[in-house]
Amino acid sequence: MSILMLEEITKVYEGKVAHLAINQLSFEVEKGEFLAVMGPSGSGKTTLLNLISTIDRPTSGDIMINGLDPLQLKSNDLSLFRRRQLGFVFQDFNLLPALTVEENMVLPLTLDGQPVSVMKEKVNKIAEQLDLTSILEKRPFEISGGQAQRTAIGRALIHEPSIILADEPTGNLDSKAAKDVLELLSNVNKKSKTTIIMVTHDPIAASYCDRVLFIKDGEYFNEIYKDDRRQTFFQRILNVLSLLGGNVNDLSTIRLS
Amino acid sequence: MTFQQFAYHNVIRNARVYAAFLLASIFSVLVFFVYSMLMFHPNIEDQFLQNIAFGGMFIAQVILIIFTLFFLFYSMSAFLQARSHEFGVLLNLGMDKHQLNRMIFLETMILGVVSTSVGIFFGFAFSKFFFMVIREMFLLDSLPLYMSWKPFTLTILVFLSLYIIISFGSSVFIRKKNIIQLLKGYSKQNEQENYSKGRAVLGLLLLLTAYSLVIFSLFQLKVYLSVVIIILAFIGTYLFYTDSILYILGVIRKRKNLYWHSFRLIAFAEASIKIRENARMFFIVTLVSTLAFLSVGVVTSFTSFTAQYREMNPISIFYTSNWDNPFEEEHVMKLSQELQKEGLSYELVKFTVKKQTSSNLRSRVNLIKESEVNSLAVALKIPLIDLQNGEALVIPNKREASEEIRTEDEQTVLEESNVPIQIKGVYKQVIFPSLALGDKSLIISDEDYGLITEPLYGHGLRESNITYYAFHVSEWLRTKDVGTDLDRIMTQSMGTSNTNPNSFYFSNPGLNYSLIQATFSLLLFTGLLVAAVLLLAAGSFVYFKLYTDLERDKKQYDVLRRMGVTDRELVKIVNRQLIPQFFLPWGLAMVHSTFSFMFLQAFWVDLAAVSIAMEMLLVLIAFTIIQVSYFFLIRWRYIAHIQ
Repeated sequence: MSILMLEEITKVYEGKVAHLAINQLSFEVEKGEFLAVMGPSGSGKTTLLNLISTIDRPTSGDIMINGLDPLQLKSNDLSLFRRRQLGFVFQDFNLLPALTVEENMVLPLTLDGQPVSVMKEKVNKIAEQLDLTSILEKRPFEISGGQAQRTAIGRALIHEPSIILADEPTGNLDSKAAKDVLELLSNVNKKSKTTIIMVTHDPIAASYCDRVLFIKDGEYFNEIYKDDRRQTFFQRILNVLSLLGGNVNDLSTIRLS
Repeated sequence: MTFQQFAYHNVIRNARVYAAFLLASIFSVLVFFVYSMLMFHPNIEDQFLQNIAFGGMFIAQVILIIFTLFFLFYSMSAFLQARSHEFGVLLNLGMDKHQLNRMIFLETMILGVVSTSVGIFFGFAFSKFFFMVIREMFLLDSLPLYMSWKPFTLTILVFLSLYIIISFGSSVFIRKKNIIQLLKGYSKQNEQENYSKGRAVLGLLLLLTAYSLVIFSLFQLKVYLSVVIIILAFIGTYLFYTDSILYILGVIRKRKNLYWHSFRLIAFAEASIKIRENARMFFIVTLVSTLAFLSVGVVTSFTSFTAQYREMNPISIFYTSNWDNPFEEEHVMKLSQELQKEGLSYELVKFTVKKQTSSNLRSRVNLIKESEVNSLAVALKIPLIDLQNGEALVIPNKREASEEIRTEDEQTVLEESNVPIQIKGVYKQVIFPSLALGDKSLIISDEDYGLITEPLYGHGLRESNITYYAFHVSEWLRTKDVGTDLDRIMTQSMGTSNTNPNSFYFSNPGLNYSLIQATFSLLLFTGLLVAAVLLLAAGSFVYFKLYTDLERDKKQYDVLRRMGVTDRELVKIVNRQLIPQFFLPWGLAMVHSTFSFMFLQAFWVDLAAVSIAMEMLLVLIAFTIIQVSYFFLIRWRYIAHIQ
């Protein structure tokens, strides 16, 4: 059963120079799938993620998330929809600097007005799962990048959303922290059957996924499914990337800028 | 693009950042200029008026300069701090520090020249209006606009030198830092919260002590306490912002049941960051606002003093003449003529007052005829009196004294004429100026008055008589030009003492009142303008701080919106973030001023028996309204920006 369905999505940015960001893109994501979206710079990855996040509207086409059409919802209901159905992980973590690790994680629950006892129970469970128990009282600037991203994942998971949207979650991390985060996401996906859609430049990150979707200039380019060994999957991803003909930078494991 | 153009573009293209700052400094130039215009006005010949105008304006200007220096210094260094990333880039590109200093100097001078010239322009445009207000206050004939180089030179010199001092002073901190520090930018965001519990408690204790001392002064006023209170409140306020408030928030944050509740989580956490970052600014804003509230409050309280003035001086023009006064007829004639010349209708009541020695008071008393008092009472529209033979009423010298005089029946004999009199009570109305009476006065019935035929011991018959002339003019405020030469003789001969060496006494409450009123209105006007400058500057601090944090806040709200915060909830969060920034310093300033007013009230009661509560309340309400509308204005702009 597909949890996300995009049909003939087109997004044009109006302005002095009209820009076609997404052109007639269609794909589906199954429940419990871990999908990577790859493409060179300017291929429309972030736009695509914004469309799925419902904070941007497509110029034409249909989106169905969990059987609901977000385009039909009013802005208020849309917010509530995001609050309950979606979780976000960002490249630069976007933790609120004023809050502690624990408070950052319970934030979605407090916004939803959950009782304190429920929040405490959930945050303790998640903190254990993400190995954050020892730093719960720390503030974001006191922890490492890996810990910050795990906190952000905790925040995305705590309200058990149907889909987690990750935008370059390893972009700001060193290789060790990136590996931890990817294994964590992959575990979460396997254990709790949470659907994850991850936009990335990094072929290593993509190799942790079930499927990689390649887009170029806003159009569908190719997709490949994982096989038994991660190493060969990684090789195949690199092959497609070289076909995509992006910049050399796009192929490197760590993004430079 | 020349170097000058570069500096110019930096200012012009950041106009929005500088807007509030420019507005505040233009306004302070404007007020300063208008004050200078009055200070140097050639038409003010009246010595007294000149003294007030010059003195009042001078003090106001000194306050303005000190404050403006402070305000400019604080704002400029905050501006530069906010731009440190930009300076880092410039230094990285190869600009040397000398050039950087020159750029900062040029930019500051552009701001200085713009605000000075715009301020003077508007100041000159408004000075005619200002003169009209002053003219109305002092009931002057004319106060025309004039051209003179003096006010212009003064304003330009003062403000340009202020800006030069600022531009050298504020770039000091940039010089100290290296490129990396500058490039990383200005972000105190990541500082650990460091407040000490000890200082937090000390701050609260100091404030509480200051307040209790104020309450203590209500019962027992000690003037030296005011210094102690000010020092305590000063330090207490500082510690309150740096430690106490953070400590209180920390305590709340430990209680999750209270704290983990929809928006409180964000609001409290953000509030503690903003307060920590802005503690010093809040401290300054609190002091400035308290000062503004107080200056306006004190001056307004003078008006309640003038309101009582009429009550204490019901007779419009009062002239008394001793038996040895050679000018009696001449003076009274002159007064009548002057009243006629002014086109004022008047009623003249003449009193012939006899002096006798009272047996049980063992002193001289003035004796006034019942019928004469009644004819004045008719003119003043106050209740008439009805005395039987042998009865008398005491006229108290002062209003407060009426309570002190014993009211029970008292028997006395006017010794020279041997007339027995029973004092029935006190005549409650105040009709005669206290200085005119000197001795204690009794009102007696016409029959008894007729029985007094003997003069004072050791005096001739005529020598124990005084004559009072009471002119009742219904338009008493217009009598200020009547009897000015008599008034001059009185003030010259008496000075500040309470004894009257002349053989006559003259008082014209209309003249005195017009002077008192004009002085107080001028003070009020001056105080209001200074307060307005202070408040505008305080507002511009808040605006600027919001503006520099805008980028960070925008990003944060973007995250929240993605996480599913609705627009309505976003406004709620914004409210909870802005309200403490606006109303915390203001609220503390209100509490401070309330207590200061209480202290002032205690002081005033001792001085003039005047209640200033009503005026204070009005002042506080007016400031509340201003502050609330300012809050809504800024909130509107802020929400427009983040959406």
